[in-house]
Amino acid sequence: MTATLDRTQVAPTRPAAQLTGVAKVFGTGAGAVTALTGVDLRVEPGEFVCLLGASGCGKTTLLNLLAGLDRPTRGTVDVATDRPAVMFQEPALLPWLTAVRNVELPLRLAGVGRSNRRGTANELLELVRLDGQARKRPHELSGGMRQRVALARALAATTVDTTSGDAEKGGRLMLMDEPFAALDAITRDVLQGELERVWRATGTAVVFVTHDVREAVRLGQRVVLLSSRPGTVVREWDLTGTADRRALTGEITDHLREVISTHGRAA
Amino acid sequence: MAAPPETVRVVDRDAAAAVAGLDALDTPTVTRTPLWRRALGATVPPVLTLVVVIVAWQALWASALFPEFKLPAPGTVAEQFGEIVVDGSIWSITWTSVGRAVVGFLVAVAIATPLGLLVAKVAFVRTAIGPLLSGMQSLPSVAWVPAAVLWFGLTDATIYFVVLLGSVPSIANGLVSGIDQVPPILGRVGDVMGAGRLASARLILLPAALPGYLAGCKQGWAFAWRSLMAAEIIATSPQLGVGLGAYLKQGSDVNNIAGVISAIVLILIVGVGIELLVFKPLERRVLQTRGLAAPV
Repeated sequence: MTATLDRTQVAPTRPAAQLTGVAKVFGTGAGAVTALTGVDLRVEPGEFVCLLGASGCGKTTLLNLLAGLDRPTRGTVDVATDRPAVMFQEPALLPWLTAVRNVELPLRLAGVGRSNRRGTANELLELVRLDGQARKRPHELSGGMRQRVALARALAATTVDTTSGDAEKGGRLMLMDEPFAALDAITRDVLQGELERVWRATGTAVVFVTHDVREAVRLGQRVVLLSSRPGTVVREWDLTGTADRRALTGEITDHLREVISTHGRAA
Repeated sequence: MAAPPETVRVVDRDAAAAVAGLDALDTPTVTRTPLWRRALGATVPPVLTLVVVIVAWQALWASALFPEFKLPAPGTVAEQFGEIVVDGSIWSITWTSVGRAVVGFLVAVAIATPLGLLVAKVAFVRTAIGPLLSGMQSLPSVAWVPAAVLWFGLTDATIYFVVLLGSVPSIANGLVSGIDQVPPILGRVGDVMGAGRLASARLILLPAALPGYLAGCKQGWAFAWRSLMAAEIIATSPQLGVGLGAYLKQGSDVNNIAGVISAIVLILIVGVGIELLVFKPLERRVLQTRGLAAPV
Protein backbone atom coordinates (compact mmCIF):
# COMPACT_ATOMS: atom_id res chain seq x y z
CA MET A 1 0.00 0.00 0.00
CA THR A 2 2.66 2.48 -0.97
CA ALA A 3 0.82 3.93 -3.95
CA THR A 4 -0.33 7.21 -2.47
CA LEU A 5 -1.28 9.87 -4.94
CA ASP A 6 0.95 12.81 -5.37
CA ARG A 7 -1.25 15.45 -6.93
CA THR A 8 1.24 18.25 -6.40
CA GLN A 9 3.36 16.85 -9.20
CA VAL A 10 2.69 19.30 -12.02
CA ALA A 11 5.08 18.00 -14.65
CA PRO A 12 3.32 18.11 -18.03
CA THR A 13 2.71 14.35 -18.15
CA ARG A 14 0.48 12.98 -20.82
CA PRO A 15 -3.03 12.47 -19.43
CA ALA A 16 -4.42 8.93 -19.26
CA ALA A 17 -7.25 10.18 -21.43
CA GLN A 18 -8.27 13.50 -22.88
CA LEU A 19 -11.39 14.48 -24.78
CA THR A 20 -11.45 17.89 -26.45
CA GLY A 21 -14.62 19.36 -27.92
CA VAL A 22 -16.00 15.91 -28.55
CA ALA A 23 -19.35 15.51 -30.26
CA LYS A 24 -20.97 12.34 -31.49
CA VAL A 25 -23.94 12.32 -33.84
CA PHE A 26 -25.63 9.12 -34.95
CA GLY A 27 -27.32 9.12 -38.33
CA THR A 28 -27.69 12.05 -40.69
CA GLY A 29 -30.33 14.55 -41.77
CA ALA A 30 -33.63 14.84 -39.89
CA GLY A 31 -33.21 11.51 -38.13
CA ALA A 32 -29.81 12.38 -36.67
CA VAL A 33 -29.42 11.94 -32.93
CA THR A 34 -26.81 13.92 -31.04
CA ALA A 35 -25.51 11.72 -28.24
CA LEU A 36 -22.67 13.96 -27.07
CA THR A 37 -21.77 17.55 -27.68
CA GLY A 38 -18.91 19.78 -26.60
CA VAL A 39 -17.43 17.30 -24.12
CA ASP A 40 -14.11 18.28 -22.60
CA LEU A 41 -12.64 15.84 -20.15
CA ARG A 42 -9.15 15.17 -18.91
CA VAL A 43 -8.20 12.15 -16.84
CA GLU A 44 -4.78 12.28 -15.18
CA PRO A 45 -2.69 9.14 -14.84
CA GLY A 46 -3.90 7.21 -11.82
CA GLU A 47 -6.91 9.44 -11.31
CA PHE A 48 -10.35 8.14 -10.33
CA VAL A 49 -13.06 10.07 -12.16
CA CYS A 50 -16.76 9.39 -11.73
CA LEU A 51 -19.13 10.33 -14.53
CA LEU A 52 -22.56 10.96 -13.11
CA GLY A 53 -25.65 11.29 -15.22
CA ALA A 54 -29.24 10.21 -15.75
CA SER A 55 -30.45 8.08 -18.64
CA GLY A 56 -29.51 9.45 -22.03
CA CYS A 57 -26.33 11.18 -20.86
CA GLY A 58 -24.44 9.34 -23.56
CA LYS A 59 -22.30 7.35 -21.14
CA THR A 60 -22.16 4.28 -23.34
CA THR A 61 -21.15 6.43 -26.32
CA LEU A 62 -18.52 8.15 -24.20
CA LEU A 63 -17.07 4.84 -22.99
CA ASN A 64 -17.07 3.47 -26.54
CA LEU A 65 -15.09 6.51 -27.67
CA LEU A 66 -12.60 6.06 -24.84
CA ALA A 67 -12.34 2.33 -25.52
CA GLY A 68 -11.55 3.05 -29.16
CA LEU A 69 -14.63 1.17 -30.40
CA ASP A 70 -16.08 4.29 -32.03
CA ARG A 71 -14.86 7.61 -33.44
CA PRO A 72 -16.14 11.06 -32.52
CA THR A 73 -18.02 13.12 -35.12
CA ARG A 74 -16.13 16.23 -33.98
CA GLY A 75 -13.29 16.86 -31.57
CA THR A 76 -10.43 14.64 -30.52
CA VAL A 77 -10.06 11.66 -28.23
CA ASP A 78 -6.57 10.99 -26.95
CA VAL A 79 -6.00 7.91 -24.83
CA ALA A 80 -2.50 7.05 -23.59
CA THR A 81 -2.93 3.30 -23.70
CA ASP A 82 -4.06 1.60 -26.88
CA ARG A 83 -6.07 -0.92 -24.93
CA PRO A 84 -8.08 0.45 -22.03
CA ALA A 85 -9.86 -2.23 -20.00
CA VAL A 86 -13.63 -2.23 -19.78
CA MET A 87 -15.85 -3.57 -17.04
CA PHE A 88 -19.60 -3.89 -17.59
CA GLN A 89 -22.64 -3.98 -15.36
CA GLU A 90 -22.78 -7.74 -15.88
CA PRO A 91 -19.64 -9.75 -15.08
CA ALA A 92 -19.79 -11.05 -18.70
CA LEU A 93 -17.50 -13.97 -17.84
CA LEU A 94 -17.18 -16.87 -20.24
CA PRO A 95 -19.27 -19.52 -18.46
CA TRP A 96 -17.24 -22.49 -19.69
CA LEU A 97 -13.92 -21.17 -18.37
CA THR A 98 -12.68 -21.33 -14.80
CA ALA A 99 -12.12 -18.07 -12.91
CA VAL A 100 -8.38 -18.09 -13.58
CA ARG A 101 -8.83 -18.80 -17.28
CA ASN A 102 -11.34 -15.97 -17.53
CA VAL A 103 -8.75 -13.62 -16.05
CA GLU A 104 -6.19 -14.99 -18.51
CA LEU A 105 -8.39 -14.24 -21.53
CA PRO A 106 -7.08 -10.74 -22.37
CA LEU A 107 -3.51 -12.01 -21.95
CA ARG A 108 -4.24 -14.98 -24.16
CA LEU A 109 -5.66 -12.69 -26.85
CA ALA A 110 -2.53 -10.56 -26.59
CA GLY A 111 -0.36 -13.62 -27.14
CA VAL A 112 1.18 -13.83 -23.67
CA GLY A 113 2.72 -17.25 -22.99
CA ARG A 114 0.90 -19.82 -20.89
CA SER A 115 2.99 -19.75 -17.72
CA ASN A 116 3.34 -15.95 -17.69
CA ARG A 117 -0.37 -15.39 -18.03
CA ARG A 118 -1.19 -17.99 -15.41
CA GLY A 119 1.17 -16.21 -13.01
CA THR A 120 -0.35 -12.78 -13.67
CA ALA A 121 -3.89 -14.15 -13.41
CA ASN A 122 -3.19 -15.82 -10.07
CA GLU A 123 -1.65 -12.63 -8.68
CA LEU A 124 -4.69 -10.63 -9.75
CA LEU A 125 -7.10 -13.16 -8.27
CA GLU A 126 -5.20 -12.84 -5.03
CA LEU A 127 -5.51 -9.06 -5.26
CA VAL A 128 -9.31 -9.32 -5.44
CA ARG A 129 -9.21 -11.91 -2.63
CA LEU A 130 -10.23 -14.83 -4.81
CA ASP A 131 -7.14 -17.00 -4.45
CA GLY A 132 -8.48 -20.46 -3.77
CA GLN A 133 -11.41 -19.93 -6.13
CA ALA A 134 -9.26 -19.98 -9.26
CA ARG A 135 -10.52 -23.32 -10.50
CA LYS A 136 -14.22 -22.57 -9.97
CA ARG A 137 -16.50 -21.77 -12.87
CA PRO A 138 -18.67 -18.64 -12.87
CA HIS A 139 -21.87 -20.49 -11.96
CA GLU A 140 -20.19 -21.78 -8.82
CA LEU A 141 -19.48 -18.23 -7.61
CA SER A 142 -21.74 -15.58 -6.10
CA GLY A 143 -22.63 -12.38 -7.96
CA GLY A 144 -20.08 -10.36 -6.00
CA MET A 145 -17.35 -12.93 -6.61
CA ARG A 146 -18.10 -12.98 -10.34
CA GLN A 147 -17.81 -9.22 -10.48
CA ARG A 148 -14.46 -9.46 -8.71
CA VAL A 149 -13.29 -11.99 -11.30
CA ALA A 150 -14.40 -9.46 -13.92
CA LEU A 151 -12.39 -6.80 -12.08
CA ALA A 152 -9.33 -9.04 -12.11
CA ARG A 153 -9.86 -9.66 -15.83
CA ALA A 154 -10.08 -5.93 -16.49
CA LEU A 155 -6.88 -5.40 -14.50
CA ALA A 156 -5.23 -8.12 -16.57
CA ALA A 157 -6.30 -6.24 -19.69
CA THR A 158 -4.62 -3.07 -18.40
CA THR A 159 -1.29 -4.89 -18.27
CA VAL A 160 -1.51 -5.52 -22.00
CA ASP A 161 -0.32 -2.75 -24.26
CA THR A 162 1.28 -3.31 -27.62
CA THR A 163 2.76 0.19 -27.78
CA SER A 164 4.67 -0.38 -24.51
CA GLY A 165 6.44 2.86 -23.51
CA ASP A 166 3.22 4.42 -22.23
CA ALA A 167 2.22 1.06 -20.87
CA GLU A 168 4.00 2.00 -17.67
CA LYS A 169 1.64 2.38 -14.78
CA GLY A 170 0.81 5.93 -15.78
CA GLY A 171 -0.90 4.94 -19.01
CA ARG A 172 -3.20 2.34 -17.55
CA LEU A 173 -6.90 3.07 -17.87
CA MET A 174 -9.95 1.18 -16.72
CA LEU A 175 -13.44 2.08 -17.94
CA MET A 176 -16.24 0.96 -15.68
CA ASP A 177 -19.85 1.02 -16.82
CA GLU A 178 -22.00 0.91 -13.66
CA PRO A 179 -20.18 -2.22 -12.51
CA PHE A 180 -22.02 -2.55 -9.20
CA ALA A 181 -25.52 -1.52 -10.28
CA ALA A 182 -26.83 -5.08 -10.44
CA LEU A 183 -25.55 -6.12 -7.00
CA ASP A 184 -27.41 -6.09 -3.70
CA ALA A 185 -26.73 -3.18 -1.33
CA ILE A 186 -24.42 -5.06 1.05
CA THR A 187 -22.32 -6.57 -1.70
CA ARG A 188 -22.16 -3.23 -3.50
CA ASP A 189 -20.90 -1.51 -0.35
CA VAL A 190 -18.19 -4.13 0.16
CA LEU A 191 -17.15 -4.08 -3.48
CA GLN A 192 -16.90 -0.29 -3.51
CA GLY A 193 -14.40 -0.61 -0.70
CA GLU A 194 -12.57 -3.35 -2.57
CA LEU A 195 -12.38 -1.30 -5.74
CA GLU A 196 -10.93 1.61 -3.82
CA ARG A 197 -8.28 -0.65 -2.31
CA VAL A 198 -7.42 -2.26 -5.65
CA TRP A 199 -7.25 1.13 -7.36
CA ARG A 200 -4.79 2.40 -4.74
CA ALA A 201 -2.73 -0.75 -5.07
CA THR A 202 -2.49 -0.67 -8.86
CA GLY A 203 -2.42 3.03 -9.65
CA THR A 204 -4.69 2.58 -12.64
CA ALA A 205 -6.67 5.56 -13.88
CA VAL A 206 -10.39 4.83 -13.63
CA VAL A 207 -13.38 6.33 -15.45
CA PHE A 208 -16.39 5.13 -13.53
CA VAL A 209 -19.92 5.72 -14.84
CA THR A 210 -22.75 5.68 -12.34
CA HIS A 211 -26.30 6.91 -11.68
CA ASP A 212 -25.67 6.89 -7.95
CA VAL A 213 -24.51 10.17 -6.41
CA ARG A 214 -23.37 8.54 -3.18
CA GLU A 215 -21.32 5.98 -5.07
CA ALA A 216 -19.72 8.73 -7.15
CA VAL A 217 -18.86 10.80 -4.08
CA ARG A 218 -17.50 7.82 -2.17
CA LEU A 219 -15.22 6.58 -4.92
CA GLY A 220 -14.27 9.56 -7.06
CA GLN A 221 -11.45 12.02 -6.72
CA ARG A 222 -13.43 14.04 -9.17
CA VAL A 223 -17.14 13.86 -9.99
CA VAL A 224 -18.27 15.03 -13.42
CA LEU A 225 -21.97 15.72 -13.87
CA LEU A 226 -23.34 15.09 -17.35
CA SER A 227 -26.57 16.42 -18.82
CA SER A 228 -28.81 14.24 -20.93
CA ARG A 229 -29.85 14.32 -24.59
CA PRO A 230 -27.35 15.40 -25.70
CA GLY A 231 -24.74 14.56 -23.10
CA THR A 232 -22.34 17.29 -22.11
CA VAL A 233 -20.36 18.22 -19.02
CA VAL A 234 -22.47 20.42 -16.73
CA ARG A 235 -20.19 20.75 -13.75
CA GLU A 236 -17.27 19.12 -12.00
CA TRP A 237 -16.39 18.72 -8.36
CA ASP A 238 -12.87 18.10 -7.14
CA LEU A 239 -13.20 15.90 -4.07
CA THR A 240 -9.59 15.69 -2.97
CA GLY A 241 -9.42 17.16 0.51
CA THR A 242 -13.19 17.34 0.86
CA ALA A 243 -14.00 16.69 4.50
CA ASP A 244 -17.75 16.75 4.39
CA ARG A 245 -18.68 14.30 1.69
CA ARG A 246 -22.25 14.10 2.96
CA ALA A 247 -22.91 17.78 2.35
CA LEU A 248 -21.36 17.46 -1.08
CA THR A 249 -23.61 14.50 -1.84
CA GLY A 250 -26.59 16.75 -1.13
CA GLU A 251 -25.22 19.51 -3.31
CA ILE A 252 -24.54 17.21 -6.25
CA THR A 253 -27.93 15.54 -5.90
CA ASP A 254 -29.57 18.98 -6.15
CA HIS A 255 -27.69 19.69 -9.34
CA LEU A 256 -28.58 16.32 -10.81
CA ARG A 257 -32.28 16.95 -10.02
CA GLU A 258 -32.06 20.31 -11.71
CA VAL A 259 -30.56 18.74 -14.85
CA ILE A 260 -33.28 16.08 -14.91
CA SER A 261 -36.05 18.65 -14.34
CA THR A 262 -35.15 20.63 -17.46
CA HIS A 263 -36.16 17.63 -19.54
CA GLY A 264 -39.65 17.62 -17.99
CA ARG A 265 -40.08 21.30 -18.82
CA ALA A 266 -38.85 20.88 -22.37
CA ALA A 267 -41.31 18.10 -23.11
CA MET B 1 -5.52 10.09 3.56
CA ALA B 2 -2.14 9.20 5.04
CA ALA B 3 -3.33 6.79 7.72
CA PRO B 4 -0.74 5.18 9.96
CA PRO B 5 0.23 1.74 8.67
CA GLU B 6 -1.25 0.01 11.69
CA THR B 7 -4.71 1.46 11.06
CA VAL B 8 -4.43 0.55 7.42
CA ARG B 9 -3.64 -3.01 8.34
CA VAL B 10 -6.60 -3.23 10.73
CA VAL B 11 -8.96 -1.72 8.16
CA ASP B 12 -7.67 -4.12 5.56
CA ARG B 13 -8.14 -7.07 7.88
CA ASP B 14 -11.72 -5.97 8.55
CA ALA B 15 -12.41 -5.62 4.85
CA ALA B 16 -10.92 -9.05 4.17
CA ALA B 17 -13.13 -10.55 6.88
CA ALA B 18 -16.23 -8.86 5.44
CA VAL B 19 -15.43 -10.09 1.94
CA ALA B 20 -14.77 -13.62 3.20
CA GLY B 21 -18.00 -13.63 5.18
CA LEU B 22 -20.03 -12.40 2.25
CA ASP B 23 -18.46 -14.98 -0.05
CA ALA B 24 -19.28 -17.74 2.41
CA LEU B 25 -22.89 -16.59 2.62
CA ASP B 26 -23.47 -16.02 -1.07
CA THR B 27 -21.65 -18.91 -2.72
CA PRO B 28 -24.13 -21.27 -4.31
CA THR B 29 -24.18 -24.56 -2.41
CA VAL B 30 -24.19 -27.87 -4.21
CA THR B 31 -25.51 -31.04 -2.65
CA ARG B 32 -24.37 -34.25 -4.30
CA THR B 33 -26.41 -37.42 -4.19
CA PRO B 34 -24.38 -40.64 -3.73
CA LEU B 35 -23.55 -42.68 -6.83
CA TRP B 36 -25.64 -45.73 -5.95
CA ARG B 37 -28.74 -43.59 -5.49
CA ARG B 38 -28.15 -41.86 -8.78
CA ALA B 39 -27.68 -45.21 -10.55
CA LEU B 40 -30.80 -46.60 -8.90
CA GLY B 41 -32.82 -43.50 -9.75
CA ALA B 42 -31.72 -43.64 -13.36
CA THR B 43 -32.31 -47.34 -13.99
CA VAL B 44 -35.35 -48.37 -11.94
CA PRO B 45 -38.03 -46.28 -13.75
CA PRO B 46 -37.14 -47.35 -17.32
CA VAL B 47 -36.74 -51.01 -16.29
CA LEU B 48 -40.14 -50.79 -14.63
CA THR B 49 -41.63 -49.38 -17.82
CA LEU B 50 -40.13 -52.22 -19.82
CA VAL B 51 -41.56 -54.82 -17.45
CA VAL B 52 -45.03 -53.23 -17.60
CA VAL B 53 -44.95 -53.15 -21.42
CA ILE B 54 -43.93 -56.83 -21.66
CA VAL B 55 -46.52 -57.93 -19.11
CA ALA B 56 -49.26 -56.00 -20.92
CA TRP B 57 -48.09 -57.46 -24.23
CA GLN B 58 -48.14 -60.98 -22.81
CA ALA B 59 -51.65 -60.41 -21.40
CA LEU B 60 -52.88 -59.04 -24.71
CA TRP B 61 -51.43 -62.05 -26.53
CA ALA B 62 -52.97 -64.46 -24.01
CA SER B 63 -56.39 -62.89 -24.53
CA ALA B 64 -56.16 -64.13 -28.15
CA LEU B 65 -57.90 -61.00 -29.45
CA PHE B 66 -55.51 -60.84 -32.41
CA PRO B 67 -54.35 -63.69 -34.63
CA GLU B 68 -50.85 -65.04 -34.05
CA PHE B 69 -49.50 -63.67 -37.37
CA LYS B 70 -50.37 -60.14 -36.23
CA LEU B 71 -49.40 -60.27 -32.58
CA PRO B 72 -46.76 -62.81 -31.56
CA ALA B 73 -45.99 -63.68 -27.95
CA PRO B 74 -43.04 -61.85 -26.38
CA GLY B 75 -41.38 -65.23 -26.08
CA THR B 76 -41.61 -65.88 -29.81
CA VAL B 77 -39.93 -62.55 -30.54
CA ALA B 78 -37.26 -63.35 -27.97
CA GLU B 79 -36.69 -66.69 -29.70
CA GLN B 80 -36.34 -64.99 -33.07
CA PHE B 81 -33.97 -62.51 -31.50
CA GLY B 82 -31.98 -65.33 -29.96
CA GLU B 83 -31.68 -67.01 -33.34
CA ILE B 84 -29.90 -64.09 -35.00
CA VAL B 85 -27.72 -63.68 -31.94
CA VAL B 86 -26.73 -67.34 -32.02
CA ASP B 87 -26.01 -67.48 -35.77
CA GLY B 88 -24.11 -64.22 -35.42
CA SER B 89 -26.04 -62.41 -38.15
CA ILE B 90 -27.13 -59.76 -35.62
CA TRP B 91 -23.64 -58.28 -35.69
CA SER B 92 -23.35 -58.03 -39.45
CA ILE B 93 -26.91 -56.65 -39.74
CA THR B 94 -26.38 -54.05 -37.03
CA TRP B 95 -22.91 -53.14 -38.20
CA THR B 96 -24.05 -52.64 -41.80
CA SER B 97 -26.56 -50.06 -40.64
CA VAL B 98 -24.59 -48.43 -37.82
CA GLY B 99 -21.51 -48.13 -40.04
CA ARG B 100 -23.55 -46.33 -42.70
CA ALA B 101 -25.20 -44.09 -40.14
CA VAL B 102 -21.89 -43.13 -38.54
CA VAL B 103 -20.18 -42.38 -41.85
CA GLY B 104 -23.25 -40.49 -43.08
CA PHE B 105 -23.48 -38.53 -39.84
CA LEU B 106 -19.79 -37.58 -39.87
CA VAL B 107 -20.02 -36.39 -43.47
CA ALA B 108 -23.17 -34.47 -42.50
CA VAL B 109 -21.27 -32.76 -39.65
CA ALA B 110 -18.46 -31.86 -42.03
CA ILE B 111 -20.92 -30.28 -44.48
CA ALA B 112 -23.33 -28.72 -41.98
CA THR B 113 -20.76 -27.00 -39.77
CA PRO B 114 -19.33 -24.56 -42.37
CA LEU B 115 -22.83 -24.20 -43.83
CA GLY B 116 -24.26 -23.25 -40.42
CA LEU B 117 -21.41 -20.79 -39.83
CA LEU B 118 -22.11 -19.12 -43.17
CA VAL B 119 -25.83 -18.88 -42.52
CA ALA B 120 -25.31 -17.50 -39.02
CA LYS B 121 -22.64 -14.94 -39.90
CA VAL B 122 -23.38 -13.80 -43.46
CA ALA B 123 -26.66 -11.88 -43.71
CA PHE B 124 -27.08 -12.54 -47.43
CA VAL B 125 -26.63 -16.29 -47.04
CA ARG B 126 -29.07 -16.28 -44.15
CA THR B 127 -31.87 -14.63 -46.10
CA ALA B 128 -31.03 -16.68 -49.18
CA ILE B 129 -30.97 -20.19 -47.77
CA GLY B 130 -32.03 -19.87 -44.11
CA PRO B 131 -35.75 -20.51 -44.81
CA LEU B 132 -34.87 -23.39 -47.14
CA LEU B 133 -32.75 -24.97 -44.42
CA SER B 134 -35.58 -24.72 -41.89
CA GLY B 135 -38.04 -26.06 -44.43
CA MET B 136 -35.81 -29.03 -45.21
CA GLN B 137 -35.92 -29.95 -41.57
CA SER B 138 -39.67 -30.55 -41.72
CA LEU B 139 -39.47 -32.41 -45.04
CA PRO B 140 -39.36 -36.16 -44.26
CA SER B 141 -36.21 -37.33 -46.00
CA VAL B 142 -37.96 -40.55 -47.02
CA ALA B 143 -39.59 -38.37 -49.67
CA TRP B 144 -36.18 -38.23 -51.38
CA VAL B 145 -35.82 -42.00 -51.66
CA PRO B 146 -37.74 -42.48 -54.96
CA ALA B 147 -35.85 -39.62 -56.57
CA ALA B 148 -32.52 -40.87 -55.25
CA VAL B 149 -33.20 -44.37 -56.59
CA LEU B 150 -33.85 -42.87 -60.04
CA TRP B 151 -30.69 -40.78 -59.85
CA PHE B 152 -28.24 -43.18 -58.27
CA GLY B 153 -29.87 -46.59 -58.65
CA LEU B 154 -29.90 -49.11 -55.80
CA THR B 155 -26.45 -48.14 -54.54
CA ASP B 156 -24.84 -46.83 -51.40
CA ALA B 157 -24.98 -43.37 -52.98
CA THR B 158 -28.78 -43.43 -52.73
CA ILE B 159 -28.61 -44.32 -49.06
CA TYR B 160 -26.01 -41.69 -48.18
CA PHE B 161 -27.86 -39.05 -50.18
CA VAL B 162 -31.01 -39.63 -48.13
CA VAL B 163 -29.09 -39.72 -44.85
CA LEU B 164 -27.33 -36.43 -45.62
CA LEU B 165 -30.53 -34.66 -46.60
CA GLY B 166 -32.03 -35.88 -43.36
CA SER B 167 -29.31 -34.75 -40.99
CA VAL B 168 -27.48 -31.79 -42.56
CA PRO B 169 -30.36 -29.31 -41.99
CA SER B 170 -30.71 -30.28 -38.32
CA ILE B 171 -27.03 -29.87 -37.57
CA ALA B 172 -26.74 -26.60 -39.49
CA ASN B 173 -29.86 -25.18 -37.86
CA GLY B 174 -28.60 -26.23 -34.44
CA LEU B 175 -25.36 -24.35 -35.00
CA VAL B 176 -27.24 -21.27 -36.27
CA SER B 177 -29.52 -21.14 -33.24
CA GLY B 178 -26.54 -21.85 -30.97
CA ILE B 179 -24.74 -18.83 -32.40
CA ASP B 180 -27.87 -16.67 -32.33
CA GLN B 181 -28.31 -17.40 -28.64
CA VAL B 182 -24.81 -16.30 -27.63
CA PRO B 183 -25.34 -13.27 -25.36
CA PRO B 184 -24.19 -10.13 -27.26
CA ILE B 185 -22.20 -9.02 -24.20
CA LEU B 186 -19.73 -11.88 -24.80
CA GLY B 187 -19.03 -10.49 -28.26
CA ARG B 188 -18.46 -7.07 -26.69
CA VAL B 189 -15.99 -8.61 -24.24
CA GLY B 190 -13.96 -9.80 -27.21
CA ASP B 191 -14.25 -6.39 -28.91
CA VAL B 192 -12.98 -4.39 -25.95
CA MET B 193 -10.06 -6.79 -25.57
CA GLY B 194 -9.18 -6.19 -29.18
CA ALA B 195 -9.88 -9.74 -30.32
CA GLY B 196 -9.76 -10.21 -34.07
CA ARG B 197 -12.55 -11.97 -35.94
CA LEU B 198 -10.78 -15.31 -35.96
CA ALA B 199 -9.64 -15.25 -32.34
CA SER B 200 -13.07 -14.09 -31.26
CA ALA B 201 -14.74 -16.96 -33.14
CA ARG B 202 -12.31 -19.55 -31.78
CA LEU B 203 -12.15 -18.43 -28.16
CA ILE B 204 -15.58 -16.89 -27.61
CA LEU B 205 -18.24 -17.44 -30.26
CA LEU B 206 -17.85 -21.15 -31.00
CA PRO B 207 -17.47 -22.36 -27.39
CA ALA B 208 -20.46 -20.20 -26.47
CA ALA B 209 -22.52 -21.76 -29.27
CA LEU B 210 -21.53 -25.32 -28.31
CA PRO B 211 -24.74 -26.27 -26.42
CA GLY B 212 -26.95 -25.38 -29.40
CA TYR B 213 -24.54 -27.06 -31.81
CA LEU B 214 -24.54 -30.23 -29.74
CA ALA B 215 -28.35 -30.26 -29.59
CA GLY B 216 -28.32 -29.92 -33.38
CA CYS B 217 -25.89 -32.83 -33.70
CA LYS B 218 -28.05 -34.98 -31.48
CA GLN B 219 -31.09 -34.27 -33.60
CA GLY B 220 -29.00 -34.70 -36.73
CA TRP B 221 -27.98 -38.16 -35.57
CA ALA B 222 -31.63 -39.11 -34.90
CA PHE B 223 -32.61 -37.86 -38.35
CA ALA B 224 -29.70 -39.68 -39.97
CA TRP B 225 -30.72 -42.90 -38.26
CA ARG B 226 -34.38 -42.74 -39.25
CA SER B 227 -33.57 -41.59 -42.80
CA LEU B 228 -31.24 -44.54 -43.08
CA MET B 229 -33.94 -46.96 -41.94
CA ALA B 230 -36.42 -45.52 -44.45
CA ALA B 231 -33.85 -45.77 -47.23
CA GLU B 232 -32.88 -49.33 -46.29
CA ILE B 233 -36.49 -50.48 -46.17
CA ILE B 234 -37.35 -49.03 -49.57
CA ALA B 235 -34.08 -49.52 -51.42
CA THR B 236 -33.16 -53.17 -51.04
CA SER B 237 -30.82 -55.00 -53.36
CA PRO B 238 -28.27 -57.79 -52.97
CA GLN B 239 -25.38 -55.41 -53.60
CA LEU B 240 -26.48 -53.23 -50.68
CA GLY B 241 -26.20 -56.10 -48.23
CA VAL B 242 -28.54 -56.67 -45.29
CA GLY B 243 -28.83 -53.90 -42.79
CA LEU B 244 -31.52 -53.45 -40.16
CA GLY B 245 -33.97 -51.94 -42.66
CA ALA B 246 -33.50 -54.75 -45.15
CA TYR B 247 -33.78 -57.32 -42.35
CA LEU B 248 -37.10 -55.77 -41.31
CA LYS B 249 -38.30 -55.79 -44.92
CA GLN B 250 -37.36 -59.45 -45.26
CA GLY B 251 -39.45 -60.33 -42.22
CA SER B 252 -42.38 -58.41 -43.60
CA ASP B 253 -42.06 -60.06 -47.03
CA VAL B 254 -42.41 -63.56 -45.57
CA ASN B 255 -45.13 -62.56 -43.06
CA ASN B 256 -42.76 -63.19 -40.16
CA ILE B 257 -44.11 -60.76 -37.58
CA ALA B 258 -41.67 -61.94 -34.90
CA GLY B 259 -38.81 -61.04 -37.24
CA VAL B 260 -40.33 -57.63 -37.94
CA ILE B 261 -40.74 -56.85 -34.27
CA SER B 262 -37.26 -58.02 -33.36
CA ALA B 263 -35.92 -55.76 -36.13
CA ILE B 264 -37.87 -52.82 -34.69
CA VAL B 265 -36.56 -53.61 -31.21
CA LEU B 266 -33.02 -53.73 -32.55
CA ILE B 267 -33.44 -50.37 -34.32
CA LEU B 268 -34.72 -48.92 -31.07
CA ILE B 269 -31.86 -50.42 -29.05
CA VAL B 270 -29.27 -48.88 -31.36
CA GLY B 271 -31.02 -45.48 -31.23
CA VAL B 272 -31.28 -45.49 -27.43
CA GLY B 273 -27.77 -46.93 -27.07
CA ILE B 274 -26.08 -44.19 -29.10
CA GLU B 275 -28.07 -41.54 -27.25
CA LEU B 276 -27.11 -42.94 -23.85
CA LEU B 277 -23.48 -43.77 -24.64
CA VAL B 278 -22.50 -40.81 -26.81
CA PHE B 279 -24.79 -37.80 -26.77
CA LYS B 280 -26.08 -37.80 -23.23
CA PRO B 281 -22.66 -37.83 -21.48
CA LEU B 282 -21.33 -35.27 -23.96
CA GLU B 283 -24.30 -32.97 -23.51
CA ARG B 284 -24.21 -33.34 -19.77
CA ARG B 285 -20.55 -32.37 -19.62
CA VAL B 286 -21.03 -29.35 -21.83
CA LEU B 287 -24.07 -28.13 -19.92
CA GLN B 288 -22.57 -28.79 -16.51
CA THR B 289 -19.42 -26.79 -17.12
CA ARG B 290 -21.69 -23.89 -18.08
CA GLY B 291 -23.92 -24.28 -15.04
CA LEU B 292 -26.89 -25.04 -17.31
CA ALA B 293 -27.71 -28.45 -15.87
CA ALA B 294 -28.04 -29.30 -12.19
CA PRO B 295 -25.14 -31.53 -11.14
CA VAL B 296 -26.66 -34.88 -10.21
